[in-house]
Amino acid sequence: MALQPPSPQTNVPRDDVGNVADAMLLDVRVKWIAIVFEATAGVDQFTVTPYTSDPTSGG
Amino acid sequence: MVRLVSMVLLVAVGLGGCATEKMSGEQLARVAKDWSLSIRASQVIPVYPLTEDLQPGDVFLVQTPIEEQVKVYLDKGFLPLENLVTRLSLTGYAEFYRGWPKIGDGADAPPRPWQFPTPEAADADFSHAPLAAFPTYNFSVSRSGGLSVAIPVQSVPVGLNLLDSASANGTITLKDAYTYALPARRTYDAIHAWSEDNAAYLKQFEPTTPVQEGKVVTKAQEFYLRVINRVYLVKTVDVSLFSNRATSAAGSAGVPQPVQLLNIANANTDAAKQFEAINQILANAGSPAPAGAANAGAASEAGAMPPPVAVGGSIKLAMATSRSVSFVETFRRPLVIGYLASDYAILKGGMLAAPTPTFSMLEGRRVISGQAIPYQGCDADCLRIRPWLKQAGNQAKLVSWLEAQGGSIAIADLLTGNHADLRRNVVKDLIEGSN
Repeated sequence: MALQPPSPQTNVPRDDVGNVADAMLLDVRVKWIAIVFEATAGVDQFTVTPYTSDPTSGG
Repeated sequence: MVRLVSMVLLVAVGLGGCATEKMSGEQLARVAKDWSLSIRASQVIPVYPLTEDLQPGDVFLVQTPIEEQVKVYLDKGFLPLENLVTRLSLTGYAEFYRGWPKIGDGADAPPRPWQFPTPEAADADFSHAPLAAFPTYNFSVSRSGGLSVAIPVQSVPVGLNLLDSASANGTITLKDAYTYALPARRTYDAIHAWSEDNAAYLKQFEPTTPVQEGKVVTKAQEFYLRVINRVYLVKTVDVSLFSNRATSAAGSAGVPQPVQLLNIANANTDAAKQFEAINQILANAGSPAPAGAANAGAASEAGAMPPPVAVGGSIKLAMATSRSVSFVETFRRPLVIGYLASDYAILKGGMLAAPTPTFSMLEGRRVISGQAIPYQGCDADCLRIRPWLKQAGNQAKLVSWLEAQGGSIAIADLLTGNHADLRRNVVKDLIEGSN
């Protein structure tokens, strides 16, 4: 059975966004990744969302 | 009588005019696209040409890259189903349709009991099939510019000729629609079992990497298995045409010259006779020989064989006025007009990825991988796995290990998700165990 596609991850600190995205891209089905800033006090955090198709079209 | 003869000629011309060999390639492509756009609006992937030989468990190999596939879909309106790989022997209908009469597994699996209620029966009986309903579609046709909207039923060109009109608006109603399905979970299990038995076959469709030879760059290719989960069938199509212009005949331009003879409201016509005459012509159209046509028509009425219209259905004139005609076109057995499916990307080694809904993908809807999980930080085990993962061959080892655990979670989820125990075991089994 193949692995599940990676899930979006919330509360990712700025200094680890690259590593999280890197791990998501190990799955060849992931074509797009959205990195969205979450307004939080203190440390900057992001939601990192993998997509298997172009999220900018349709939907 | 003279007018009746001319009417008969018009109908004959109409039937001849709808012969596909006379249509240009461009017109044929437009027929496919316009029909498909109508069906797509009902959230169903269109089938073109219509066929009864498509059912849940049919597996197609999709060779075009996903971007190309979307382009083809948007351009043509449908996806050619050309590479049928296998038909899975699915079970589970009895459970899924528990309590539903005449649905079972094995020989009783849909649609066979409906298509062929008994070996001797010539007529299909879909009275026990789950019903579906489609909205009425509007369209316009114009002879001068070809069909501006075309549908794969014969009634439209016939009606246009009956109206003797250069253009018309119309509606098409898909009646007697049915659907049946199996849950995607069933097809998921079946396709994975099949893929394990056919790994060598699937391996030839592993994803390729881009290759550059001089200035020529060969794009990376990905292949998918498309597994049908649900199909929609239609047995009867009602077509109504409303003339919106004067006749196309050069000698009478601007003068409405419609089917007065068929106007029941017109006391001067013998409407019943005209209806009968035209329906007789429609029933006999496409039969191989006049004598055979007569016999076939009689046999058809007796239910022994299909009506002799060649293109797949029988047309019957249902109503006509000076400005409108309505037809009922009935297929011998219900035909599949659309389907829903799941796509499985073929991965390295011929393994299959998690399924994605075909319709969402083709319509460009966002396909995210799942529910968001909170980032848990990169703990000590994560910090050991990350550099180890970058070494050649270790990603494949980790994937195999995760698959063996049964949960099959993604590597990204493993590293920074709520999986501390799993990370510990990865370190123990794969990193420390290999030392």
